[in-house]
Amino acid sequence: MDNSLSFTKPLLETPFHERTYEACYNNDWYRWAGYKIAREYSNTELEYTAMRNTAGVLDITPMHKYDIKGADAIKFVDKLVTRNASEIKSGQVMYIIWCNEDGNVIDDGTVFCFDSNHLRIFCAERNLNWFSDTAIGFDVEVEDVSDTIAALAFQGPLSCKILNLLNVKNIENLRPFYFDDFDLNGCKVTISRTGFSGDLGYEIWCKNEDAISVWDSLFKFNRDYKVLPAGMNALEMVRVEAGFIQPNADFMSAEQALRPNRMRNPFELGMGWLVDLNKNYFTGKKNLVNLKKKTLTKKLVGLDIQGDKPAIGSVLYDKNKKEIGIVTAGMWSPSLKSNIAFGYVDKDHMKIGSKVFAEIYHPEELEYKKIWAECSVVKKQFFNPPRRHKVPAEI
Amino acid sequence: MRKFDIIIIGGGHNGLVAASVLSKKGNKVLVIEKNEQLGGLSNYVDSLSYISEEVLKELNIKIEKDINENYVSALSDDLYHTVLKINGNKNIEILQTNASESDQVNFIKLINKYDLFARTLRSFMFKKPPRVKSGSRSDIWQLVSMGLKVRLLGKKNMRELLRVIGLNIADDLEDNITDNILKGLLSNEAVIGTNLGARSPGSILNLLYNQATNNSIFRINKYNTNSFLNSIREICKKNNVEIETNKKVEKINISNQNVNSVLLDTGEEIQTSSIISNVDPKTTYLKLVGAANLDTDFIRRTKNYRTKGTVAKIHIDFENEIKINNLDTKYLSGKFVYAPDIKYIEHAFNDNKYNKLSSNPCLEFYINKNKLTANIYFIPYLINSAHDKKKILSNVKLILEKFVTENQILSSTIETPNDIEDKYNISGGHWSHGDMEIDQLLMMRPFYGSSQYSTPINGLYLCSAGTHPGGGVTGINGINAAKQLLKDNRNG
Repeated sequence: MDNSLSFTKPLLETPFHERTYEACYNNDWYRWAGYKIAREYSNTELEYTAMRNTAGVLDITPMHKYDIKGADAIKFVDKLVTRNASEIKSGQVMYIIWCNEDGNVIDDGTVFCFDSNHLRIFCAERNLNWFSDTAIGFDVEVEDVSDTIAALAFQGPLSCKILNLLNVKNIENLRPFYFDDFDLNGCKVTISRTGFSGDLGYEIWCKNEDAISVWDSLFKFNRDYKVLPAGMNALEMVRVEAGFIQPNADFMSAEQALRPNRMRNPFELGMGWLVDLNKNYFTGKKNLVNLKKKTLTKKLVGLDIQGDKPAIGSVLYDKNKKEIGIVTAGMWSPSLKSNIAFGYVDKDHMKIGSKVFAEIYHPEELEYKKIWAECSVVKKQFFNPPRRHKVPAEI
Repeated sequence: MRKFDIIIIGGGHNGLVAASVLSKKGNKVLVIEKNEQLGGLSNYVDSLSYISEEVLKELNIKIEKDINENYVSALSDDLYHTVLKINGNKNIEILQTNASESDQVNFIKLINKYDLFARTLRSFMFKKPPRVKSGSRSDIWQLVSMGLKVRLLGKKNMRELLRVIGLNIADDLEDNITDNILKGLLSNEAVIGTNLGARSPGSILNLLYNQATNNSIFRINKYNTNSFLNSIREICKKNNVEIETNKKVEKINISNQNVNSVLLDTGEEIQTSSIISNVDPKTTYLKLVGAANLDTDFIRRTKNYRTKGTVAKIHIDFENEIKINNLDTKYLSGKFVYAPDIKYIEHAFNDNKYNKLSSNPCLEFYINKNKLTANIYFIPYLINSAHDKKKILSNVKLILEKFVTENQILSSTIETPNDIEDKYNISGGHWSHGDMEIDQLLMMRPFYGSSQYSTPINGLYLCSAGTHPGGGVTGINGINAAKQLLKDNRNG
């Protein structure tokens, strides 16, 4: 067929593209919100190891960023999210989820409070429509500022040390879930002590024109510390170890799921601690009050699996071989030296220590090896080193 | 702080009907009306087209009918007007027409067909609409009986009903008759007060629905508005309902998803545990309740509820008694329709789509000696601007000049949908507080999550035309809302 008339919009390039393109030896790109992001630069395991032992640099520019400005900015966020956000202070970051009227989770993200009239929400999926409709009746303006801010995640045990060497003043005293403005190599940047790796790490937000300079400075001490750019595959590994779930991977966003029974409420996702039913009215409160009273029929839990073959896409069974759930993400964790996964289990197997079985199909040189592996239900947060929370951070 | 069992916001006819039902049961009721005059939009119409027997029986009142014999005249540019005589709802006789013999026969057949279908629909009109997935026995029973009623039409008629119910009126008319005036006359009934043209799907449903609630295809039974309002007011008086006019409710105070009190524009706060809002759903939710107390999905549905009004009203005083050229004076007591053909209506509707004035509008008018009152459509509601009323007047004048000669216009007043919005506090100035289309009817009226007169807020109910069965002066909305409130209170 003649293809000359077909039109596809090319993927956008982030402000870091000049550098990521050079580094992306595999030329393996992932499509994220219309942008090209490296899936693997050269070797996923190497990138993972950098993040766990020195530091890794991730281009997270495609993250959606929404400015909330106006007198009711805090009230708006409080109506949107399940947590009590009414007492958020400037300089603070809060991890948030938001639900629809049925109490099913739409997405998760973080909210940064610049001052009581200006907040910014970061999330992985597009939410402008939802935010704009939530803003009706509030004195706020919601603006998508995604394309105006370049962002890097700088994650790993040496991240603070390297920033310190780069003369970022007082960075070690930045507390987890706080942010501030800093000077990095002559560029004005906002740095928050947040991240998706479950380790000590920072996220650096800068202007598009400063992007290359910020990128280069992070690799300045590479002769000694070997910082590596990390791709989405490596990020997937660290986020599972850290116990972070992702919309449309571990649960379907309520705004996108077509089948009503595929939506999940916060309790099923193990995020009940994020739901405050005593605060002012928020979207979904009415149903969440009812849901809290009901016993859960399924829950997303962590699984510690026998053997070393990752249980990707496995079906879970009880001891009588009755199907009870499915694995949503699985991997062999090099740091923990164990085979871990997230999976949904039924109401009889939610307790920590319960035993379930996974049927693992492991491809081995053009043949599947079928493994019947025993799993024990554990906490989702597999990896949580003390240095992650330490203030001042290790230099 | 004053305290009442039940507060009714808005003293429109539905609010008053609800007040009389509730006060009969010994509740202490307060009605708050923004305007001086009670009755709301029922004052807008000169005479009521229908008040259902169910309401009259429930309230035990009688209302005088003004005229028994009714005429409908469809005006034609060539002055060969068509006149129908209407006795009751079924007996329609063509007195004079330019249409062929077979057209006349087919026209009557068509009207009888619509009448049959409307009577089937009528049985759904006066109960609260069933919810589809509630699992409640009464809801299921009602759904079954709705299906059964349709099935009892017989195979042929049921098929015909299901064929035409989603259809546009123009198609069905063109299949059956050729005369333009007759086609325009029926199309007028199908599209007036809606955002539909004669070729818009759903216009037949609107016609049947109107016919079912008004019990007349041409909406021409004349009941005296004042007699109706006076008799409900008397019931209210007898049962010690307090009525306060010239006061506007600014806000419904809510704590923990329960109704707490209302705040008036005078600054007074009145405590209550139950409120029935006779204000349209959009205003009730977005202005009185406030978005902060409602789920985002619900706000989204409220926002998307279609309430664009399309009809303006004009009152014209002529110098002399009005006569219509080439028409017998004995027909002057009836209704006049100027919608000469389907194409004309469609062109008028085209402007409406782009929020413009129809330069060749359709008219429906009544004459009383030297006074003429006309509904003009399509005159769309405008969000941030206003129509040029002089232009509306000159458009209407151009049409009237064809039929009324040797007479001068002394004065005129025009009420556009924007004026209706301001005066009666109805968002969009829509006659029925929202389009009567298939996705906004029955259990979906006004929208999902707000059907059966209840709301997400405990103790708050709706009784406006924005609820089932919709617009028209039926009083059913008020009765059903009051019954729902009483039932919920009984069940705790």
